[in-house]
Amino acid sequence: MSPAQPEALAQAAPSRAARGSIHVAGVAKAYGATTVLSGLDLAVEAGTFVTLLGPSGCGKTTLLRLIAGFIQPSAGKIAIDGRDMAGLPPQRRPIGMVFQNLALFPHFSVEENVAYGLRLRNVPEAELRRKVGTFLDLVGLGHLGSRRISQLSGGQKQRVALARSLVLEPSILLLDEPLSALDLQLRKQLQAALKEIQRQLGTTFVFVTHDQEEATLMSDRIVVMSAGAIQQYDTPPAIYSQPANLFVAKFVGELNEIPGRIAAVTSETVEIDGPGGRHALPMSGIRGFSPVPGTSCVIGLRPERITILPPNADADAGGRIALPGTVIERIALGSVLRFVLRCGEQRLVAVRLASDGAALPEAGSPCRIAFDPADAQVFEPLAAPAAASFGEKP
Amino acid sequence: MTETQPASPAKALLLLPVLALLGLFFVSVFQLFSNGFADADGWSLRYFRQIVNRSDYQVIFARTILSSLTVALLSVALSYPIALLLWRLERWRNTLLIVVLVPWLVSLVVRTYGWLVLLGPKGVINGMLAWTGIIEQPLALMFNDLGIVIGLTHVLIPFAVISILSSLLAIESNLEEASGVLGASPFQTFRRIVLPLSLPGAFTALIVIFLASIGAIVTPIVLGGMSHQFVGSQIYQEVMYTFNLNKAAAWSICLLAISFLSLLLLKAIERRLIGTME
Repeated sequence: MSPAQPEALAQAAPSRAARGSIHVAGVAKAYGATTVLSGLDLAVEAGTFVTLLGPSGCGKTTLLRLIAGFIQPSAGKIAIDGRDMAGLPPQRRPIGMVFQNLALFPHFSVEENVAYGLRLRNVPEAELRRKVGTFLDLVGLGHLGSRRISQLSGGQKQRVALARSLVLEPSILLLDEPLSALDLQLRKQLQAALKEIQRQLGTTFVFVTHDQEEATLMSDRIVVMSAGAIQQYDTPPAIYSQPANLFVAKFVGELNEIPGRIAAVTSETVEIDGPGGRHALPMSGIRGFSPVPGTSCVIGLRPERITILPPNADADAGGRIALPGTVIERIALGSVLRFVLRCGEQRLVAVRLASDGAALPEAGSPCRIAFDPADAQVFEPLAAPAAASFGEKP
Repeated sequence: MTETQPASPAKALLLLPVLALLGLFFVSVFQLFSNGFADADGWSLRYFRQIVNRSDYQVIFARTILSSLTVALLSVALSYPIALLLWRLERWRNTLLIVVLVPWLVSLVVRTYGWLVLLGPKGVINGMLAWTGIIEQPLALMFNDLGIVIGLTHVLIPFAVISILSSLLAIESNLEEASGVLGASPFQTFRRIVLPLSLPGAFTALIVIFLASIGAIVTPIVLGGMSHQFVGSQIYQEVMYTFNLNKAAAWSICLLAISFLSLLLLKAIERRLIGTME
């Protein structure tokens, strides 16, 4: 490491390019007859900000606690930096953890909370002071070191919990919904701060949340989980545009669901009977299943992919599919306009830029609802348990 | 609720029992003080002088204070591991708590006489020790300070278990996990996190037991005998045998003063030791 580097960062981030990879292979966890996780495989590269995303009860916290070593897998292996972690207790793993309730020590000052792990390692007093100072500065609490925990605000407590884990320079930092108790404003601030700190240090962060917006905002990669299994592991844009199945598509971002029935399948297209007749959609829109004629399916359309045209417009130009409909609501949401449309029995949501508003119809007026067949995605309908996590009856 | 409800005569009636109790309390305290600070001729400190100047009475004060302190420290020391066990054994906690509290279902007098059977010169303990040949002469386990301390500790230990357990239960659930992830062994976690956070409960137990013990009557009478009086048993004697109510009142006022001063002292020590933890 060159001596010319800025001091704070040089102290906080020693070279760790190779540290912080996680390999999960065939991991399952069951309590008695209840299976919480089944056959998980996951490879996280060092230095990634990974989010475990899913509804409550999907097993994301269980996976985090398995990586931490609080619980042992019923089957399978977990390796950190290529080293098998089987049987190792949390204190022997190269990890840090920020708990949902933060778990700060109420009888210590801010400084002593951060110094706790260093004291356990018998770090000399001078070095300990220097490190505690560096990491309190890193989280922006350099001036509050002597405060008691009870004198801090919610956001400041988060930062103490973060500094307390990071000061030990773990390969991996596990974060169990640490922002869920905060109000929106503070939450946004801390999301940005967390992301910035992760980028500076290059530590692998594994972040658990049920908030898809938070996951999209912060992560390099998202693990979408449901019913104890990984549904998809990819970058946020890929998960939004290429969801593996209907669950992922519904959980990340908004989705219009149009029920249909598969009529015919060719090598290039799949023909689906839906509202307004039979539509031919390209095979590239099929997500995660092989279509069989005669079975039901769901056509998924993102709100920004729906175009709203005047009722007399020549909509079919360029191979677009156009259906007659009505505008039910038109809501201005700052930079975008949100439309609720009706197309036969089907209710659809469309989002357009507010700057295009002048050309768009008002509420109550008839319109044509158009979309490019290439923008439509075709899914298998959700199985009952997955549907239940959206509060739906199958 | 911000609005006050109209006072009705029926509701005012509900206050009567409270007033009666308060009245009784103040009358008896007044009676106590007027008995203690007076004799047949009017105001006087005669009885206090009698008490303070007699060296055998000074021994009684010293015994009461020192034995109570021993009882308090012993109770806390013995109940800490019990509380820790109850805290850990989540599933058995309620059952075991009943076991701890069961002695309270038996009258204090009966329990104390039980110790008589165990500790006496021909009692169970001495009998066993003599039978195994460990001792030849019976040990003096009662009619001395040791007997009183054993008896009082047994009576008061459940207070300490409950007080310490409640402060252990107030520790946030995953502080121990957090300490573990930060590299602490289970013992380090106990010493640096669990023990300091449970100290307030232990100290409350210490104070409550000291105050309960300092006013004890039955146990010192039964297990201390005539030769080893406590302030409480001395008061009992003045009232029941010598019928000297003025002197008994003076004794009581002394006891009250000692309790009050010890409470202030212990609270000061507690603040020093534990600081201002929230």
